Amino acid sequence: METVRALARTDVRLKVVLAFFFGLFYLLAIPYPEKSRQFPQLVALFSFIVTVVSLVRDFVRGARAAEIAQVDDTELTRTGEEDRGEKKKRFFRAWGIILASLGAGLLGGFLFATLFLFAGFGLIFGRREDLVRNMLVAVVMTICVFCAFHWLMGVPLLSGLFW
Amino acid sequence: MIDLLVQAVTFAFQWQNLVALAAGTVSGIIIGVLPGLGPSAGMALAIPLVLKWPPATALIFMGALYKCSNYGGSITAILVNTPGDSSNAATILDGYPMCEKGRGGVALALSATAAMVGGSIGMICLIFSAPALANFALEFGPAEYFLTALLALSLIAAVVQGATLNGLIAAGLGLMLSFVGFDVITGHLRYTFGWSVIEDGIPLIQALVGLFAVTQALVLAESAGAISRIGKLAGGFLEGARIYFRYPYTVIRSSLIGLFVGVLPAVGQSSAGLLAWADAKRASAHPETFGTGDPQGVIASETSTNACMPGDLVCTIALGIPGSVGAAVFLGVMIIFGVIPGPLVFTEKADVIYSLFVALVLTSFVLFFVGMTVARHFALVTLLPNEIIVPLTLVISLLGSFAIRNLMADVVLSLGFGILGYVMLKGGLTPVPLLLGLVLGEMVETNYHRALMLSGGSYSIFFSSIICKILVILIILSFVGPYLAPLWKRLTGKMK
Repeated sequence: METVRALARTDVRLKVVLAFFFGLFYLLAIPYPEKSRQFPQLVALFSFIVTVVSLVRDFVRGARAAEIAQVDDTELTRTGEEDRGEKKKRFFRAWGIILASLGAGLLGGFLFATLFLFAGFGLIFGRREDLVRNMLVAVVMTICVFCAFHWLMGVPLLSGLFW
Repeated sequence: MIDLLVQAVTFAFQWQNLVALAAGTVSGIIIGVLPGLGPSAGMALAIPLVLKWPPATALIFMGALYKCSNYGGSITAILVNTPGDSSNAATILDGYPMCEKGRGGVALALSATAAMVGGSIGMICLIFSAPALANFALEFGPAEYFLTALLALSLIAAVVQGATLNGLIAAGLGLMLSFVGFDVITGHLRYTFGWSVIEDGIPLIQALVGLFAVTQALVLAESAGAISRIGKLAGGFLEGARIYFRYPYTVIRSSLIGLFVGVLPAVGQSSAGLLAWADAKRASAHPETFGTGDPQGVIASETSTNACMPGDLVCTIALGIPGSVGAAVFLGVMIIFGVIPGPLVFTEKADVIYSLFVALVLTSFVLFFVGMTVARHFALVTLLPNEIIVPLTLVISLLGSFAIRNLMADVVLSLGFGILGYVMLKGGLTPVPLLLGLVLGEMVETNYHRALMLSGGSYSIFFSSIICKILVILIILSFVGPYLAPLWKRLTGKMK
């Protein structure tokens, strides 16, 4: 039971992924010439061992913590979970805006990504009464970025798949 | 020597050089503030502007820009938890927590004072000891470089978050990522998975932007409000300057660390800041306050980074070996203007070199006054609502990432590193050792192979010189130290 609980923790899951990553990099280096594989394999092996040791420690500590945590803290847990849920929702929304902006940037050029980022965050995260202000900021910032980087520095902000 | 210095001071105070110095200072701060556009990109952008200037004036402008972009980088490190350059990575550890407590103005003033004091100490030492320091640097062979980089990695891994294993894992990950692309020894392609964008290795600036700027934007997006949690700015900049001078030992130790690291070719400013921060934490009576907004953390990292830049210039000027990406660009600028680096430069182009040194001392003071007068205004950024600061951070940093090669693929790469940085943060792993691993990876591997080539495959080369032996002992201590310290405390406690 404690093992399952420990696996649900972000740090443990991250370390499992990293251990897999180090192992994979060790194996991928096998066909490389000796001098090209020697150092990466050394680092991969060392990092793999350190990650496994760290994981073992996490599991041991997790089991001890589970023994200690026999106190009724339902109310606290509920508040923490609500907060975590809200954060997760905002995180995924932010990624939605970033990916939409990236798409706009790929199609029309980076300038469109700028406009989408400012407008998206202003629209989705801003308060309704600040909507006009946020949209104004989006337009002004897009113009500023265009003038400073496209005109003055010659960065091609309008070169996308469309043109 | 004295005649040369008097001549250099007179030259530096000519109106056109003062204008170049002021212009370089302001441009440097602005460039440093933009995460991604570090000193290297800034100098590269400015080359066409100064091509027709007299060499000494052009080098003064470039030198001021190079120096001040570091201060600019500390502004974003403190205010939005995003270092403008890898050299400011250590500043975020205490600078940003100070900002969260509403003490952003104090942190910025500490950084401006550190730029003046650390920079001046470094430059004055450099003026008088440049030829001797260049000779010391010549004592370092591949084995010494390998061990120095390893020491930097192990020290940071050991102290950054108080969790040695987590630090080592992050450093290992950074090293592994540094192996991506062409192997400099054999020319063999490694770990690219057919993606041509990373054939020359993972671009540092794009990785830095992702690990810090994108990650920070994602963390900020998770909650409403502003960066400053108390909603106002507490503490003025004079308070920051006063606090700075309360820690003279930290200032001196950090300056010495910065100078030492700067003199070693190719180790760079990012290691200097982190090493000084780690040293200040070890020496402090309250190490637990480091990383939570302790002013000493900002003092140590910024003083060391600013003292490192002159040391970095020693190798660049005297040996032609740049200590950082910025120094490499500066080396190119020197060559463009006919100042060919090498031990003879101190006699053949003494007028230009010493004018540059004097101008850089002057820059430290100009930077202090500019920093102290505008610092408060920059700090107001922390009061902006997150729905504005998040896209602002993303646009400026991703633009820096995009503008280097005009590739949207670089934006994708930065976003990928953003996810990695975010997951690491949530998993209790700090991205700072990862960045250092990425920066030092090539140096570690190249020097490892070179050392083994020199010794005919014998590992005894890593223990051959006195410098090597000292470095090996320090590396072992950095691994064992965190476990020995509590044991020692327990033992002495029992004895008492």
